[in-house]
Amino acid sequence: MQRSLKKYFPLFVLPTSAAFLIAFLAPFFIGLYLSFTKFTTITNAEWVGLQNYQRALDPNDGFLGSFWFTILVVVASVITVNLFAFTIAKLLTQKLRGTNIFRTIYFMPNLIGGIVLGYTWQSMINAVLANYGTTLVADWKYGYIGLIILVNWQQVGYMMVIYIAGLQNVPTELNEAAAIDGAGRWQTLRNVTIPMIMPTITICLFLTLSSSFKMFDQNLALTDGAPMDRTQMVALNIVKTMFSQIGRQGVGQAKAVLFVIVVVAIALIQLRATRSREVEA
Amino acid sequence: MSAPSIAENAAAVGGPVIAAPQEKRPGRPGRTVGLAAIYVLLVALVVVFLGPIVFIVLNSFKQKFSISSDPFAVPVGDMWAGFSNYITGLTKQNFLEAIGWSFFITVASVGVIVFFCAMMAYYITRIKTWWTTALYYLLVFSMVIPFQMVMFPTVKLADMLSLSNPLGMVVLYLGFGAGLSVFIFSGFVKSIPLEIEEAAYIDGCSPVQTYFQVVFPILKPVSITVAILNAMWVWNDYLLPYLVIGLSTRFKTIPVVVQQFVGSNGNRDMGTMMAMLVLAVIPIVIFYLFAQKHIIEGVVAGSVKG
Amino acid sequence: MKNMKRTIALAAAATLAVGSLAACGNDEGSGDGEGSVYFLNWKPESEETYGEIAEKYTEETGVEVKVVTAASGTYEQTLQAEMTKSDAPTLFQINGPVGLVSWQNYAADLTETDFAKDLSDPGLALKGEDGKVYGVPLAVEGFGIIYNDAIMRDYFAMDGAKAASMDEINNFAKLKEVTDDMQARKADLGLDGVFASTSLATGEAWRWQTHLFNTPLYYEYEADGITDAEELKFSFNEEFKNIFDLYLTNSTVEQTLAPSKTVTDSMAEFATGKAAMVQNGNWAWSQISEVEGNSVAEEDIKFLPIYVGHEGEEKIGINVGTEAFMAVNKEASEADQQATIDFINWLFTDEDGMKYVTEDLGFIAPFKAFGDNTPSDPLAKEINRYITNDDLTAVPWVFTTMPSSKFKDDFAQLLAQYASGNLEWDAVVSGVVDNWATEKAAVGGN
Repeated sequence: MQRSLKKYFPLFVLPTSAAFLIAFLAPFFIGLYLSFTKFTTITNAEWVGLQNYQRALDPNDGFLGSFWFTILVVVASVITVNLFAFTIAKLLTQKLRGTNIFRTIYFMPNLIGGIVLGYTWQSMINAVLANYGTTLVADWKYGYIGLIILVNWQQVGYMMVIYIAGLQNVPTELNEAAAIDGAGRWQTLRNVTIPMIMPTITICLFLTLSSSFKMFDQNLALTDGAPMDRTQMVALNIVKTMFSQIGRQGVGQAKAVLFVIVVVAIALIQLRATRSREVEA
Repeated sequence: MSAPSIAENAAAVGGPVIAAPQEKRPGRPGRTVGLAAIYVLLVALVVVFLGPIVFIVLNSFKQKFSISSDPFAVPVGDMWAGFSNYITGLTKQNFLEAIGWSFFITVASVGVIVFFCAMMAYYITRIKTWWTTALYYLLVFSMVIPFQMVMFPTVKLADMLSLSNPLGMVVLYLGFGAGLSVFIFSGFVKSIPLEIEEAAYIDGCSPVQTYFQVVFPILKPVSITVAILNAMWVWNDYLLPYLVIGLSTRFKTIPVVVQQFVGSNGNRDMGTMMAMLVLAVIPIVIFYLFAQKHIIEGVVAGSVKG
Repeated sequence: MKNMKRTIALAAAATLAVGSLAACGNDEGSGDGEGSVYFLNWKPESEETYGEIAEKYTEETGVEVKVVTAASGTYEQTLQAEMTKSDAPTLFQINGPVGLVSWQNYAADLTETDFAKDLSDPGLALKGEDGKVYGVPLAVEGFGIIYNDAIMRDYFAMDGAKAASMDEINNFAKLKEVTDDMQARKADLGLDGVFASTSLATGEAWRWQTHLFNTPLYYEYEADGITDAEELKFSFNEEFKNIFDLYLTNSTVEQTLAPSKTVTDSMAEFATGKAAMVQNGNWAWSQISEVEGNSVAEEDIKFLPIYVGHEGEEKIGINVGTEAFMAVNKEASEADQQATIDFINWLFTDEDGMKYVTEDLGFIAPFKAFGDNTPSDPLAKEINRYITNDDLTAVPWVFTTMPSSKFKDDFAQLLAQYASGNLEWDAVVSGVVDNWATEKAAVGGN
């Protein structure tokens, strides 16, 4: 049966692959090439070898610092987003009345996006902090916490939907069987539910991980790196190198390549770690 | 009303973790108390999630100056700007046309993404060769790449291949959306028991028939999830449409138009921007509320099969 | 590894080569020998007017003019993307000598064009290292301290006022004395503060890190007899601090809250009469006139030079100059380049074109053809008053030599931290000096 499906590859695989090649794969390799060049526009690139990489790793550059801040944000947001999303999903799959309404509402923040939303959060947080005579940029921790709150607000609903789908796929008989065996709720959760929805957890962890690593709009609008670039994430650092400095587009591109290497490594580790815990459904 | 402060928000967000173990206490009398506690919590979360949206709506009716001086106040009296922010927004830029283009690009892209990515996910999950595995990992890989890495080359290629038009955008979105969509689809394809397909083959179905008559219907719930996720992303996406079509063609999408309200000397007109944000969100909220019904049906159907 | 690199490079180069071929093909398709203009505009607020101008020009000459406006703050990025397209901008903007470093390869020599020769002051042109003209300014702008004369008159009429008229305020000491006193009596004057809030929110600090910095930078260049520097001494940082502290203390808001304020907030405070003074330029007129509840009469809006406590500052005027230079894309077809030059000539010498420039764009155009024609808004008139006053020397815009926008962003963050009370002034100064050196070195390719 597999063999007969195999020959339909032009129909099943080709359209998406072609679009993927144009939009992502070819540009990615061109981007890789550009990281070894000096360029203003991509049509007049000049080969400079590893020079861009040296500059990207220059300790005075702030690129490495932005990595640490990114990791702080990623760790905090992956944990909080998934914890809240899972907890809410669990509450909403308790067969209570009106859960649909709650679900609909919690998902709403996902419908709004972009820089304007970031500005809105900036003014809200500043308005609250004004009561204490301070602002979002007075201390990097404010920007950090602000960013985490914003990410949670945006992503919890999204992840919740995926968790709900996962939880509803857990056969009720399993939970009932566990209850008959005298397992408490907590034990059921740990020994039945979580192993059963491990694929969902993998997806959610991966999604939050990749989106918080790449976070840009929110960072730009909320703090723009202030104070003193201490709340600058990698994506923002790359963009600033490309557009706010003169003749450094190649360095920005090199930073993007380095960033990719790190993110891919982390994502692979994460996928491997969680995939190994999945039970075959 | 005074909108929720961040401190309250944080407390409410922190709530579930603390409250969750408590409601797990067994015993009948505790059950109603637990139930009430859950509802209180759920309502508190409504405030948290809707607060900022209410904030945007309130301020979109406010005078520019009052937005920064009384951000949380309800726009009454002097602060009330009526629909002036909306009128400015609607007349200054070609907003209605932008809604049209955003709508077209979103609907077409989402349709194309769901259709083709589901097929691809099915194929590369069922056919295990070195190149399907490689393709899968490349797609997953694309999800973690920051857009800035490929931004200029993508714009250049799109221009070369004459993709600087709404249909071309659909192709680009298929390419960029493939990573996440194939990833989600293939996760679900894996959970479909092979027996179902084998039964179809025995009944004399060709692979294409099997896919469309048997597999795709099973994928319906996840298709809707994928559709919603992509619809929101495409609808709100700014940089790609801005660089590819938003600038030099007449095909501007809503986020591109909204961004044009920032003046060159930091003349950030928050009132108008928030009003435009509200207008931009209305269609997608309607779409979401409509699709919401299907999600639940789909998820329920999926859970019966699973 | 080495092989892979080569393969990648080759593949990428091949793709790009195909791209340029395709680009050539397209060019011939669109340009039927006539040539057309594609203007990448950077001022969102002028978008509509440019649209009208383009329409009018096409109507008169039949030449196609496309105007595209880059979203605020994204001009550089937009230009980089657009320049690689088959239909690239023919007319674009360069912000001063630093911008020219990036775009030198794309800037056509404009030395022999009519509009370059028509400049009222040839020194305004943006010249390359070879002495040729690569950029021509399209407007002269000015900034200083905008004040509300009605409020000042109220103050001068008060008992024990520290001055009797604006003429007495011609140095920092006097400015401080007067504004300190006004701040003490702000309730009587109906003010929230003398100076509108010092907007230091992210992306909103350009009035300080760029414009206010211009004055000490100019004094430094003057003292050293130079026009640019690889290393900055920030010799006049005390002067910068003088005026910056004055803005922060005699303000409408607590200085720790300044980092949450935007330019729009400041302008609204001024327009509604809650502040008597605000540092800004003539472009801010629309931000004053369009605010709802605007209580400032047009004839009461005046400019005061920025006094910082420098010796001999009684003789200086407001800051006048230009930062945006028009450049023509050298890579465009001959016909397109010529069409672009014709368009600029028309805009700045033809009756209709000139009318658009002064009346609709509100530009003070730096060309002989304009004579005394200036826009009718009060701030443009004020600039003219200062330019024609022979007793005062206008402070030129030397901030165009600032190394990069990263330098400016970092400067802004330093100032925000200073205002928040997290940073001593010395640290601001050393930060600025260090960043200048690093960023200047980066421009040089190190």
